[in-house]
Amino acid sequence: MTDRILITGAGVVSAIGCGKVQTLDALLNNRSGVGPLVYLKTEHKEFPVGEVKMSDEGMRKHLNINDKEITTRTALMGMIALDEALKDAKITPDMLPNIGFISGTTVGGMDMSEQYYLDYVNNENHKEYIAVHDCGSCSEMTANHFGKFAFITTLSTACSSAANAIILGANMLRCGEADIVVVGGSECITKFHLNGFNSLMILDTQWCRPFDATRAGLNLGEGAAYLVLETEESAKKRGVKAQAILSGYGNACDAFHQTASSPDGEGAYRAMKEALQLADIQPDKIDYINAHGTGTPNNDLSESQAMKRLFGDKVPPMSSTKQFTGHTTSASGSIEAVFCILALQNGFMPVNLNWSQPIEDGVVPVHQPLKKELKHILCNAFGFGGNDSSLLISKPEL
Amino acid sequence: MMEKKEIYVLSAKQISVQQPLCEDWMSQPIEYQQPFNRSIDPSFKDYISPIEARRMGKILKRAIATSKEALKASGLETVDAIITGTGYGCIENTEFFLDALSKDGEQMLSPTYFMQSTHNTISSIVAIQMKNHGYNVTYAHKGTSFDSALQDAVLQLRLGKISSALVGGHDEMTETFYNILKKGGMMGHDDEMCGEAAVSVVVGARNDDYLCKILDFKMLHKPTIERLKAMAAKFKADFILTGISGDHKSDEAYIAEAKELFGDAKLLKYKHLFGESFTSSGLGFYVAAQCLKAGKIPAHLFVNPKDITDKKPSKILIFNHSDGTNYSLTLLEA
Repeated sequence: MTDRILITGAGVVSAIGCGKVQTLDALLNNRSGVGPLVYLKTEHKEFPVGEVKMSDEGMRKHLNINDKEITTRTALMGMIALDEALKDAKITPDMLPNIGFISGTTVGGMDMSEQYYLDYVNNENHKEYIAVHDCGSCSEMTANHFGKFAFITTLSTACSSAANAIILGANMLRCGEADIVVVGGSECITKFHLNGFNSLMILDTQWCRPFDATRAGLNLGEGAAYLVLETEESAKKRGVKAQAILSGYGNACDAFHQTASSPDGEGAYRAMKEALQLADIQPDKIDYINAHGTGTPNNDLSESQAMKRLFGDKVPPMSSTKQFTGHTTSASGSIEAVFCILALQNGFMPVNLNWSQPIEDGVVPVHQPLKKELKHILCNAFGFGGNDSSLLISKPEL
Repeated sequence: MMEKKEIYVLSAKQISVQQPLCEDWMSQPIEYQQPFNRSIDPSFKDYISPIEARRMGKILKRAIATSKEALKASGLETVDAIITGTGYGCIENTEFFLDALSKDGEQMLSPTYFMQSTHNTISSIVAIQMKNHGYNVTYAHKGTSFDSALQDAVLQLRLGKISSALVGGHDEMTETFYNILKKGGMMGHDDEMCGEAAVSVVVGARNDDYLCKILDFKMLHKPTIERLKAMAAKFKADFILTGISGDHKSDEAYIAEAKELFGDAKLLKYKHLFGESFTSSGLGFYVAAQCLKAGKIPAHLFVNPKDITDKKPSKILIFNHSDGTNYSLTLLEA
C-alpha cells in the first residue's frame, strides 16, 4: 500500500460545456455536444464533431487575453480548464513556483501551422506562429497565463497523453518531487488529424455508436481538463478536501500495430490489471468502467476482449462517453477522469448513448440511466501505437 | 523523501552528424562549416528488414538502430520501460502530410504519412520491434524532451516500479523545416549548427559493465537565481557540460550563469560537434557518460583551452537549459 494521491481540484471544457456544473448537467440529462461542424475550416462538413462551443476569439475574450498575445486553440481551451482546476483547489498564483504542471497534447499548435504552412515556406506572413508549433510551447502558453510553475513538461502519446500526464504526476508525488502537481491535457480539432483519421477510414458520418454492433467509426471532439493531484499531508496543511483518490494507474504497450489494436486487447488488459494491482483492489470491487470506447470496430472489440479477460463473465457496468463529447484525443484521459469524479460524487453512471444492438460476443454497455453509489471506477485511455493507460479513481471515504 | 536507489547508465548509443554508433568523435571529430547538416546514417539492414524500412522515415530507422544497439550493449535481454523524448516528433512525415493538405486539398490524402506523423510513433515502433509490452511513453517538451524522458525513468527506478528503461532522444530535421525554424527565430543564430539527434541509453540497476552512475537529477522551470544556487550546491562536480551552441548572445549569458553557479568548475561543450536540436541534450548525456567511461575528456570539449587537462573525471554535471526557461541538472559519476 502506498501513500494516497488526492485529487483536490478539477477543471474541464468540452463539447458538453464549460466547467464542471455544465458538464454534470449534460451527463445527467444525456445531452450530447456532438453535431454539425461550426468552427473548424474544412471541406469535410459530412462528419459530425464535438466542438467546444466557442470561437478562438470568444475564448480569448472569455480569458481577457490582449490583442497582441499569440495563442493557439489548444492552449486557449487548456487555460479555461486550468483556471477552473486552480480555483477549485484553492491554488493562488503565489503558490505556483512550488507546483508542477504536466500536460498532454499531440497537435500542439497545428491549428495555426495548417493554416499558415505555405506562408511559413514562402513568405514572412504569420511567422510569429512558427515558435508555437511544438507541443511544449502549447503547455507553456497555457501555464504562463497563470504564473510561474516550478516545472513543466509535456506528454505526447496520442489519445492517452492526458492519462499519462496524470500517471507522471502521481509518480512525482510518490517520489517526493512535489507536494502538488496539476496534470491533464488539451487538444483542439485540427484539419490535420480530421483528414488523417479520414484517410484511415475511421470517422463515422453518423453520430458514433460505441459498443454497438453497427458502429462504424468515431466522431472527433476537442476540449481540455486538468486535475490537481496532492499529497495527503499537503492537503491537510492547506485545509482542502479530496474530491476523489487516484488509487491506481497502469500503462502498457500493445506492441501490435501503429494504428490498430490487437484482437485480444493485450495492452488494454495489462494497463487495467496493473491499475488494480497498484491499488491492491480485486476486480469484483470495480463498480464502473469508463471505457475508451471510440466507436471504431477495432477499438471496441479489442477493449471488450481485454475487459472479458480481466473480469471474466462479471464485467462491471461500463460505458463510453464519446457520444457526448466526440473523441477528444489527447485530452480524453483527463476529461473522462473528470467525468468519473463527477460520477463518484453524484452516484451515477453516464449512459452509453445511441446504443441498440450488442456486439456479438461483446460487452453490453450501460444504456439506461443508472443511479448507484460508486466506490471504484476504472477510466481507460488508449492511443495509436498501442499506448494504453488506465486510471483507478476511488471515493475518498470508503 | 525516499531513499535513493543507485541508478546506472548501462549503455549509450548515437546516430548524429558524427560517425554513427561509435565514439570516433573523441579522437577524430568531424567539423562542419555549413549550418544545416543531416546525420551520417549507418546501414540499417542489420536492424530492419528492407520491406519494413521502405515505409519508415529516417527518425524511426535511427531510433530502431540505436535502441537495438543500446539494448545489446547493456547486457540485458529486455527492458521494463521504453521512454522517448522528441521535440518535434516525426517531422518529415508531418511535413509531407501538411504539404499535401496545403497544396492538393482535403480529398486525395493517403494515410501513409499520417500514420507515422505522431510523436509517439517512435516509442511504439521500438516496442513493436522489441515485442515489449512494458511502460511506454513519449515526451515532447522543447529542449528538455530527452530530460523529461530521463526524469520519468529515474522516478520509476527510485520507486521500484521498473528495474530498467530504454530512454531515447530523437529529432530529425529537413531542409524545409530548418528554414521555417530559422524564419521563426528558433535556429541558425550566428555560428550555431543544427544537428539531428538519435540517442538511446539503457539505465537501470548495476550490471557487470556500465558507463557511469546517475547520482541526481532535477528539472526546473524559470527558476530564480537563488533556487538555482541552492541546486548547484547539491550538484557539485569538477566538470560542467554546458549546451552552448554558437548563438553568441545566448552563449554569453549561459557561460556567465554557469560561472556564477559553479565557480571554478571547468566548463565543457558538445554542440559544436553534434549541433543543436530539441533533443541535443540527449547527445550531451551520451557525451558525458562516454567521457566518464573512457576516463578522459577530449581537449576539444573544453570551453576554455587553459582548462584542458588529462585528469580522470570523477563527476560531470550536465547543465542544460533553453533560453533560460527550462533547466535540467544531471549529475553523473564514473
